[in-house]
Amino acid sequence: MIEPFTVPFMGRALAELVLLALVCGPVSVFVFARRLAFVSDAVTHTVFPGVVIGFLAGGIEGIVVGALVAGIATAVVLTLLGRAGALSDDAATAVVLTAMFSIGVVLVSRRSSYTSDLTSFLFGRILTVTPRQIVETAVLAVLILGLLLVGARALVFRTFDPAGAAAAGFRIAGLDLLLNIIVALVVVAAVRAVGTILVVALLIVPAAAARMLTTRLSQMALVGTGLIILAAYGGLLASWTASVDYGIALTSASAVVLLLVLAYLLLLPLGALRSRRNHGRTAPHARRSPHELVG
Amino acid sequence: MNDAAAADAALRCTEVSVGYHGTPVLTNVTLDLVPGQRLALIGPNGAGKSTLIKSILGLVPVLAGTCTVLGRTPSHARTLIGYVPQTDSLDADFPVTAGQVVMMGRYRRIGWWRPTRGVDRRAVQEALDRLGLADHARTHFGVLSGGQRQRVLLARAIAAEPRLLLLDEPFNGVDLVSQDAILSVLRELGAAGTTLVLSTHDLTLAHEFADTVCVLNGRQWALGPPGATLTADTLRRAYGGHAIELRDGRTVLVEP
Repeated sequence: MIEPFTVPFMGRALAELVLLALVCGPVSVFVFARRLAFVSDAVTHTVFPGVVIGFLAGGIEGIVVGALVAGIATAVVLTLLGRAGALSDDAATAVVLTAMFSIGVVLVSRRSSYTSDLTSFLFGRILTVTPRQIVETAVLAVLILGLLLVGARALVFRTFDPAGAAAAGFRIAGLDLLLNIIVALVVVAAVRAVGTILVVALLIVPAAAARMLTTRLSQMALVGTGLIILAAYGGLLASWTASVDYGIALTSASAVVLLLVLAYLLLLPLGALRSRRNHGRTAPHARRSPHELVG
Repeated sequence: MNDAAAADAALRCTEVSVGYHGTPVLTNVTLDLVPGQRLALIGPNGAGKSTLIKSILGLVPVLAGTCTVLGRTPSHARTLIGYVPQTDSLDADFPVTAGQVVMMGRYRRIGWWRPTRGVDRRAVQEALDRLGLADHARTHFGVLSGGQRQRVLLARAIAAEPRLLLLDEPFNGVDLVSQDAILSVLRELGAAGTTLVLSTHDLTLAHEFADTVCVLNGRQWALGPPGATLTADTLRRAYGGHAIELRDGRTVLVEP
């Protein structure tokens, strides 16, 4: 069960995914609590043209820079849209998302190696992760966790009670920008290994699954990280076994994501049980005053 | 305005108009509250009560007139102002305990990332105790009843030790036990010098809570003691509907 990971490229793949698990667990909690699933999806798509431009300009090493520029730009634009109230309108986000994605496809389609390039941008290349990539991911992970550590308290307050947080003197726009930048940085960190499509799963599924087990934010983050690590180990092992022992091509990143989703599905009944128990504990519905006026 | 006098006043609004995007929803509000005064904002839905509260918090712009809190502009007085939002504006599914919600009241003091200290945890526990929620510190906020949630939010405001406390419809959907707990804590706070402003459309509770009532609907219709302001005549004019006198001298409105 451990042996495949003694092969260098398998060990590096696991190391990369463990680093991503460390950031995606906590970040997914905020994505979940702020209901930013669609916004995260938008970031992954808008980062795509940045990835392509970065690759065209600087090869593999250019991808991170391109993704970083596109990701930060998206974070700013989404924050401004949110300020203007346009984000509640999903259509505005969807227009930005599809437009940017199309630009990426147009750019990548000009290359002769169109199909293989597109595939690797969309689904990543987890098995060809280099030591340098791992170092870059580690640097981004430290940055992301640092930002989260500084902002977590204010972000929780803002997420739970925006008016209360603003009344207490926290700047809502600043906090929204911070979280959008954190999400963008996660996408940038994950994009080469798992691709722009599958990173959405790492940002949404862990917290959604962890919510079935616990109602505490810190525990959700830990459980989320644990689930990603388990899925990473299981997914890589499954794709190794499938291709080495049975000659079946099973894309590693897809196997990881499928296992993550499977964990979510297995935990679903637990969540239902939990919420039924909680509803049993809820006090009978509050009285409405007979003197209350309805204007 | 005399600066010394403004500093004495806990809340002073002079011919204030408030609203969104430059369009006033409430005009000509003039208030002058001393420390410990208890003001009830009365008016129908859409009267501008919540908007006035948000402008005192510095969240909605004052379009005309001036508003000062303890001699400062609203946005410079935030550390002195407590705010209790309507419970139904919050996400009950949010994974957070009652104790964590009350701790949010301390966040401005604690800062961005410093760990909580003993003084913060004591303030949280005391606030929960005062509202009869000592056993609920570790209870998930979402499984509490509406009245308990409202008490948690009041505990959060108290934990911040404000000198001016604003409450937006604190009695909406609240059970009798919670209502009494909230009223008695508000009386204690008033006696200790905290200035209180709450919006409600429950006239009976306004009578019980307030020493001053401000009747609002688009503009200020009356300001003064409950007995002088909550009259059938004033309310009929402000609400534009019918008011009937109850036997105990209190007034209640019926829809036209």
